[in-house]
Amino acid sequence: MKKLNITLLLAIGVAFSASAQTPVGDILIRNATVITITNGTLENTDVLIENGKITRVGTDLREPRGGVDEVIDASGMYVMPGIIDAHSHIAGSSINEGTSQVTSEVSMEDVVNPLDVSIYRALAGGVTSIHLMHGSANVIGGQNETMKLRYGTTNPDDLRFEGAPRTIKFALGENPTRGARARGIQPQTRMGIEAMLRNAFNDALNYKAEWDEYNTTRGNRKVAPEYDLRMETLVDILEGEILVHCHSYRADEIYMLMDVFSDFGIEKIIFQHANEAYKVAPELAEFGAYTSVFSDWWAYKLEVYYSTAYNAAILTQNGVNTSINSDSGELIRHLFHEAAKSQKYGGLNDNEALSLITINPAMQLGIEDRVGSIEEGKDGDIVIFDKHPLSVYAIPQMTFVDGVKYFDYNNDPDDQRIWVDPTSAIQDVVLYDAHDMHLCMHEADFVEMYELINGEW
Amino acid sequence: MKLLRKSFFRLSLLLSFASFTYNAHAQSDPTGNSPATNTYAITNATIVQAPGKQIEGGTLIISNGLITAVGTNINIPANAEVIDGTDMYVYPGFIDGMSNTGAARPDAMERPEDLFTPDPPNDYAGITPEMSVKFQLDIEENSINNMRKLGFTISHTVPHGRMLPGSGSLILLKDGEHADDLIMEENVSMYTQFQGAPGAYPGNTLGIMAKWRNLYRNADLAKQHTEMYASNPAGLPRPTQDRVLQAFYPVVDRSQPVFYNANSILEAQRAMRLQSELGFNLALGNLEEGWEMVGDLSGSGVTVFLSLNIPEEPEVKEDGDKTEEVAALEQRRLDFYNKQMSQFSAMDAEGIKFGFSTMGATASKIKSNLVSIVEHGLDSVQALAALTIDAAELLGIDAVTGTLDEGKIGNAVVTTGPYFHKDSGVKYVFVDGDKYEYEIRESGGGEVSEEEAAGIVGTWVYTSSSPRGEQTGTMVFTRQAGELTGILTSDSGQPDRILNNISFRDGTLTFDYAFEAGGQGVEIVVTGEIDGDEFEGETSISAFNISFPIVATKEVPQQ
Amino acid sequence: MVMRTFKITSFALVFALVALVPLFTMAQQSEVVRKAQVAKFALTNATIYTVTNGIIENGTIVINNGIIEAVGADVAIPADALVYDYEGREIYPGMIDSGTQLGLVEINSVAESRDYNEEGDITPQMQALTAVNPNSEAIPVTRVSGVTTVITKPSGGVFPGTAATINLFGYTPDQMYAGSKGLIINFPNSARRWRQTQEQADRARERALGVLNDTWDKAETYASIRGSEDVRYYPEMEAIADVIDGKMMVYIEVNAASDILSALEWIEDRGLEQVVFTGVSEGWRVADQIAEAGIPVITGPVLSVPNRRSDRFDVAYTNPGIMQQAGIKVALRTNDTENSRNLPYNAGFAAAHGMGREEALKAITINAAEIMGIADQLGSIEPGKRANLFVATGDPFETSTQILDVFIDGYQIPMTSLQLELYDEFLDRVPGLNKTEITVDR
Repeated sequence: MKKLNITLLLAIGVAFSASAQTPVGDILIRNATVITITNGTLENTDVLIENGKITRVGTDLREPRGGVDEVIDASGMYVMPGIIDAHSHIAGSSINEGTSQVTSEVSMEDVVNPLDVSIYRALAGGVTSIHLMHGSANVIGGQNETMKLRYGTTNPDDLRFEGAPRTIKFALGENPTRGARARGIQPQTRMGIEAMLRNAFNDALNYKAEWDEYNTTRGNRKVAPEYDLRMETLVDILEGEILVHCHSYRADEIYMLMDVFSDFGIEKIIFQHANEAYKVAPELAEFGAYTSVFSDWWAYKLEVYYSTAYNAAILTQNGVNTSINSDSGELIRHLFHEAAKSQKYGGLNDNEALSLITINPAMQLGIEDRVGSIEEGKDGDIVIFDKHPLSVYAIPQMTFVDGVKYFDYNNDPDDQRIWVDPTSAIQDVVLYDAHDMHLCMHEADFVEMYELINGEW
Repeated sequence: MKLLRKSFFRLSLLLSFASFTYNAHAQSDPTGNSPATNTYAITNATIVQAPGKQIEGGTLIISNGLITAVGTNINIPANAEVIDGTDMYVYPGFIDGMSNTGAARPDAMERPEDLFTPDPPNDYAGITPEMSVKFQLDIEENSINNMRKLGFTISHTVPHGRMLPGSGSLILLKDGEHADDLIMEENVSMYTQFQGAPGAYPGNTLGIMAKWRNLYRNADLAKQHTEMYASNPAGLPRPTQDRVLQAFYPVVDRSQPVFYNANSILEAQRAMRLQSELGFNLALGNLEEGWEMVGDLSGSGVTVFLSLNIPEEPEVKEDGDKTEEVAALEQRRLDFYNKQMSQFSAMDAEGIKFGFSTMGATASKIKSNLVSIVEHGLDSVQALAALTIDAAELLGIDAVTGTLDEGKIGNAVVTTGPYFHKDSGVKYVFVDGDKYEYEIRESGGGEVSEEEAAGIVGTWVYTSSSPRGEQTGTMVFTRQAGELTGILTSDSGQPDRILNNISFRDGTLTFDYAFEAGGQGVEIVVTGEIDGDEFEGETSISAFNISFPIVATKEVPQQ
Repeated sequence: MVMRTFKITSFALVFALVALVPLFTMAQQSEVVRKAQVAKFALTNATIYTVTNGIIENGTIVINNGIIEAVGADVAIPADALVYDYEGREIYPGMIDSGTQLGLVEINSVAESRDYNEEGDITPQMQALTAVNPNSEAIPVTRVSGVTTVITKPSGGVFPGTAATINLFGYTPDQMYAGSKGLIINFPNSARRWRQTQEQADRARERALGVLNDTWDKAETYASIRGSEDVRYYPEMEAIADVIDGKMMVYIEVNAASDILSALEWIEDRGLEQVVFTGVSEGWRVADQIAEAGIPVITGPVLSVPNRRSDRFDVAYTNPGIMQQAGIKVALRTNDTENSRNLPYNAGFAAAHGMGREEALKAITINAAEIMGIADQLGSIEPGKRANLFVATGDPFETSTQILDVFIDGYQIPMTSLQLELYDEFLDRVPGLNKTEITVDR
């Protein structure tokens, strides 16, 4: 039996480097109820993972000649694809570069923090991939990072979801207008946001034209235009190379963005939060837009007052690809339960409900060929539950990424931090308020900070 | 990395010229500060000529700024001041890989009207790579003496600022009449750090990483344009002048290294990420958390200066009643401390040549930190190398310093015992041939005499006129083990603030303190004059470019 | 899809039992008027979870004048009763959320709609009940999920005010008042808040300790002299004196283990009775000490992150069970407002992580009522108690379970809310994608 556990990974942490391969494992799970998502639910079924990939799903699978890391008897248990959180802010050292209304050039991949113990807690909730998003302080925020929760490494590169498409955060509504209002600049209205988006794209088109001309001019004696990473990124959006994930709440602003994107020929949008998406479900379906929503959050601010917990169900029934996300270091620990709420609120069936946290978010991140369902050839990112994952009584038992076990409920020692500050207090007790874990506007509020400093003197 | 090899010969010529003219201007010296001679002979000492190369009962001659002889059986020049080095150790002068030593913090700048643009003014954004630290150098900075009395003779000093404060220079930690007297070589590095401009772009690491890439790539393009134009301007638009991009040219052509103040593992990895994308020469100037990066650094070509800012050894309580949980947590904390302390020997074992940097370290703790590093496994020969010849090589100045070889700059440290022994003290430091003598204190490392401190020790009631209105409170200064400590208590109910970098010299009091706001560290600097029981000064928060007056009155003790 | 509302319950039920699913794909019109119905009700053929007297199969409940008149398997159905056949359904006592701000805030980011935090450290005379908005949209959203009763509480400062227990039906605060109030003390806190440094926390704690003790000393003096002539009316002290005199219970919000121990000492020093600890997120660390002192606990939210980075991931889930097993009387709270509807899921997580289903159910019914001193009226399905109960398709902790009917104080509650109305309007929007074009002469 090959053995590779987290402690070992920690011990050989030095061996991780940008060029090194991340670890993969071999696992044989026997006699489980396998919820494949894309191919029904299979009773008494085995799943074989080799070299981090699902190689067989069937009955009475033979253990490969070379052996596996572990054979797991999962009789009476449920196996489902690892949960994917399409909106997360854990494992990031910074969230908002909110100092300008357009910061398309910045990227969350630069601020990944692999040392965050929240990663382990997410694994304990069956999550295997997250979309680490820029905050919502500005209209065009930064690029996001799609990650696999390979906890135990100090190297941020090891968490990269290699090959995942680039994505970027946009934000509409109260958050960007609030910041602008405090500063006395545009946009302070939803009109202003639209204008700003159109201006940004037009600037990008002009930028592209300049460079196109430069690139097509013959000869060596030519001078390059100014390079602008901000514009480069916007051009990539216009050319469909970057998926836009847009923080939005109200139906009107959702509709507006589809309009703007239609005009600029951008074909894909994922609306994040989208509490009022249900109001324009037919239009979203027509556009082919996706939505990634909360299960039941509402009323914490004006633009989410006319929300309904039936949002996910209405969108699903109207044919809109929808996921349920956390946006929170707390909710991410029980997304399976958040998905189950779509059964209470709108009666989605088991497969529809579980799709909200597996294949649908995978599609929204462009990684559905790798994860989001249990299929031969896909990555060995799976979670084993003791009960049906939509039951409130279900507890994740084991979580695997690339066939490597990163969480085991029955072998879960205290203190899973991988980094300890020698100057930290032993008894560091922190109390959280209800929305502390809602990090979208984290670091964004300059005005609030200025007040804090004034309070100093 | 050999930074300065090419300039060595020019430099030594300059130095000798300076020596010859030393007394030419000195008409008279009513202060009595001038030395009687510029030639010194330290005799009968244990001379560590270079790490691992020890001469017992040796003699070192320093004359007119240079080491002129070293060894046994040395003729002592007739004009030499002879220092009996019996029981003393003589080392090459130490070299600080990166610090702000000698650089004065610039005044807070005017807050720009139009802060919230995608491109705020470069000075506010902290993007001033064209700036040289020489414009911040201040011969009155007491950091110069503070570091010198630890044995440091040369510092790679970088400017205060934000993202790209300017270029660093090598300075000699000596007393000069003008800042230029201290400069050994200017513009040896481009200094950069993950320090955003609060409220303006780039505000944090996200913006800084992107801005770095953008500046570098445009500098590359602008440089190509400039070179093309220089070789043949016909038909080409004239290159525009951009001092920021121009400052990048030597970085782009790799004649100037980038010194990154990246002390945590995550920051260091981010700096290396930029380096691997853009290809410049990188030095991690102040690495604190490097133990997991030994493999990555090995063979990477990245220059490393390890920070001498080291945490206190965490407490493991001798308490039989403590729970298993507490015991385990204490042990883990200690484990991480030990990892940090053993990174020095780990790097050495991996063959990574490194120096030390003192940025962020408390001067009075540096000696004991070095002793502790050796106790945690770094060979003392290697520790000395990191302070001397290895640092010199990494900075490209090993031809002129780093060992006590004849012909090198007269930089030396004379101690009362082996340096890496906790009871030894620094008795003399020679910088550029000048002698500095120190009192050996039991406690070691003190910086303010009781007499000096008397003017400040006590309780001060302050009033400051902040934009928010009048604020009041008290500041209490005490002198402990020769050092000033202070605490500020605001009447507004804010937590007490421990005051750092307290300096009181010729009636000028400065100190600073920091706190967290909105997830960001903010530093407040107070500076002003004390006249009897009255203090009048200014409080500045450079992060916000605001400053406002503060006055304080010393409380007269009740009888 | 599953149906979600019964307009006329008895009518709908007949169909629902036969063909639940198909019916409601068609029936999407909803009554806009939210009006309760009152009658003598007989709820029949249900599985009744009485909480205090076991489970009754095929049982009947008779509700009359707001009171449960009879419960049992062989209860005679009064001739004048409106009879609902709940065959295959389960009936539970209304769930009690022992800590919310329901009614005190509508939209949290809109300061004008926040009424839970009065200025000042010492505002014990502030009455949550006064500011309850009976028409808050969050109230119907909560009660259609089976939560019929909540504590609603002020916050901020050392003495934020007086909390009240309310039933989630009524048009004036008095109609909603469920007969229990308690003074809140935020016990000085050694833990730091998120974004606060330990230094700041320590300083705040020291200050709060001073406020607490000085105020309490003064209130003790006041309690001993009030009533005598020439004592000026001092509303702040009046409120605290009621606690000192044993006329009012006190909720002490305390979380960190060391603070819980300090609070136990403080209570003993001050000779307080009728004390309830709230929060108690680190109760699991000192459960034996709390149990020994006999202090009941209101804890939650269960769905929350651990207080320490070194804690196991599930300490908030296991906390209620550990305390209950140590012998502490435990009730649960969401500490939420608009999502107090998640109370059963908080209970479900506690149940799954060691507390067990039966004890978790008690924690949101009878234990809560006992802690608040109103167990003679609420917390179980027993004759003589107020008729607060709900009818479910199954285990109410299970996420997929539907709540079919809710009765509060004997009123049959309209099973609708803002969120359900929006669902009805938008599930199959009219017009859909294309609106019929109307030609207008220009």
